[in-house]
Amino acid sequence: MAEPAIEARTALRPLALIEGRQDDGTLNKTLNAYIWQRPQRGWLALTLLGLAGTGLLLTAVTITVAVGIGTWGNNIPVAWAFAITNFVWWIGIGHAGTLISAILLLFQQKWRTSINRFAEAMTLFAVLQAALFPVLHTGRPWFAIYWLFPYPSTNAIWPQFKSPLMWDVFAVSTYFITSLLFWYLGLIPDLASLRDSSTSRRARVTYGIFALGWRGSARHWHHYKIAYLILAGLATPLVLSVHTIVSWDFAVSILPGWHTTIFPPYFVAGAVFSGFAMVLTLIIPARRFMRLKHVVTPRHLEAMAKVMLCTGLIVDYGYLMEHFIAWYSGNVYEQWVFFNTRPKGPYSWAYYLQMFCNVVVPQVFWLKWARRNVGVLWVGAVLINVGMWFERFNIIVTSLHRDFIPSNWAMYYPTWVDLSLLGGTLCFFGLLFLLFLKFLPAIAVSEVKELNHELHLGEAGISLHTPKEPLHAGELEST
Amino acid sequence: MRRFVLGEFSEPDACVEAARRLREGGVGGLDAYSPYPLHGIDEALALPRSKVPLVALTGGVLGALAGYVMQWWMNAVDFPINVGNRPPHGFWTNIPITFESGILISVLSIFFGAIFHFFQLPRTYHPVFESERFRTASLDAFWISAETTDENAVPDLEGRFRALGAHKVHTVVETP
Repeated sequence: MAEPAIEARTALRPLALIEGRQDDGTLNKTLNAYIWQRPQRGWLALTLLGLAGTGLLLTAVTITVAVGIGTWGNNIPVAWAFAITNFVWWIGIGHAGTLISAILLLFQQKWRTSINRFAEAMTLFAVLQAALFPVLHTGRPWFAIYWLFPYPSTNAIWPQFKSPLMWDVFAVSTYFITSLLFWYLGLIPDLASLRDSSTSRRARVTYGIFALGWRGSARHWHHYKIAYLILAGLATPLVLSVHTIVSWDFAVSILPGWHTTIFPPYFVAGAVFSGFAMVLTLIIPARRFMRLKHVVTPRHLEAMAKVMLCTGLIVDYGYLMEHFIAWYSGNVYEQWVFFNTRPKGPYSWAYYLQMFCNVVVPQVFWLKWARRNVGVLWVGAVLINVGMWFERFNIIVTSLHRDFIPSNWAMYYPTWVDLSLLGGTLCFFGLLFLLFLKFLPAIAVSEVKELNHELHLGEAGISLHTPKEPLHAGELEST
Repeated sequence: MRRFVLGEFSEPDACVEAARRLREGGVGGLDAYSPYPLHGIDEALALPRSKVPLVALTGGVLGALAGYVMQWWMNAVDFPINVGNRPPHGFWTNIPITFESGILISVLSIFFGAIFHFFQLPRTYHPVFESERFRTASLDAFWISAETTDENAVPDLEGRFRALGAHKVHTVVETP
């Protein structure tokens, strides 16, 4: 009788958060090994590619600024096209970082620890790309400053704070600053450990400057813990507010396809959905090439797949509601967008691609097999990224290109400048990320050490029940 | 001239226990150093409650107030813009930026308050770094320091550190 019970327990036991028997010394060595070793050929090749793409981005930005946004495919009625699509996509990707580092911290989810640094860096770099687009799409950014930021200009005029576009400026800049400071505060102890394990003087001085003279004093940790926790507590409503406000840019207008009350929660869920997809897209290759499989285990990947599935379902509910409300409202323009323009119009391929990637693909993660298979997980995550980009494309371009009067209708085609800006930001993002992986600790070393210590304690406390299996957080939680 | 007696421990719990015993034994100027926060060290060193939450709250409230007043003054007082005869002072439309500025100022005051005030960083020199061995404090060992200006107290302190299980004990002197 006892046999099946034990089997069932083994099957239900959570996977390890940290694999193998690790101590502070081995963690220190393995987690920072990538920084001290010579750059790999693959890393160099990708960095060169990133540099080339960044060059393309700079070219496209220069042309946009020098000639004007006439170099883009935008027209009237499609006045917002690639730029805002890319903006919303990038800022959405940026949401997973804060979700992982702040919300999961508040919920005491231990699996956040190995991936939070990674996700925070991704957030920062994604928000940087996002910020580029609204600035560029103003056409003359050097004039835009006075109506975007409240500074006493010689015009003696102030921004109009009743517009969601202004709220967006404040939300995005607050989000960027908060993410940056949260990230840096987390980095300080790890920079100190890099300073102390460095062998060359140059590394010691460089990391030493950024570590600010951190010495791990108990008096500092005492304040540090509470500061970190409060920052997480503040970042949590902030992250929800950012995409809510982004969605208001659309929802407060009267354009059919935008004028929807479901937008704020649906945008936030979509942001987390795409953000987790991007974390998986990046971490699956990174954990392999950086030899981090012992701290980024199948447990982490599986948890992320579950979050993706859950937020994906919320997004799907959003799609359903949009269509339902369009039908239920009896408004012919709303119905026209949802039942004619999108599924039957000239951009219907984008609509079906979106539905395939965001509705069909995530359903595969109901299966444990798919959640544990890194190949399936990676392809699924990439498809979700694509799907989420097309979701924003559909919301923006498809809604705009056929509004109330057929004489207004026009098609939108991206120019090479549009495409270069999108491709260029992808490369610039990749470049920043590669530099981050090479020069900064991609895993929050001090937090992993702390977790490892806690897991050891938990293991000791529960040794009656599980004499052989080390390092399971689930058991720690039950003690 | 300040002297720091330093003791290295290899286990976190031993370090916390030693800190507690030293404090209870009447040793002043104690501090502990570790690669990650030690559980129970706050009690062992009897550290007072952190004031960081107070800083966060003050920053948040002042930031939100400033954000609201800014919008009201700019849009309703200094340069009212009449758009479709809507009231220049819109309470609800001011809420998002009030919220964001509250968060922003709170975050800035926590971060810079922590770095400059609570940690007293950045600093280029601290006597504990005189010890080359002290590098392990951020890697895989746990240290306790006792600060003293009395040269004659040093041998006694070193003895106490050893008795409590420090496997490496030495004293560093602040360079003037």
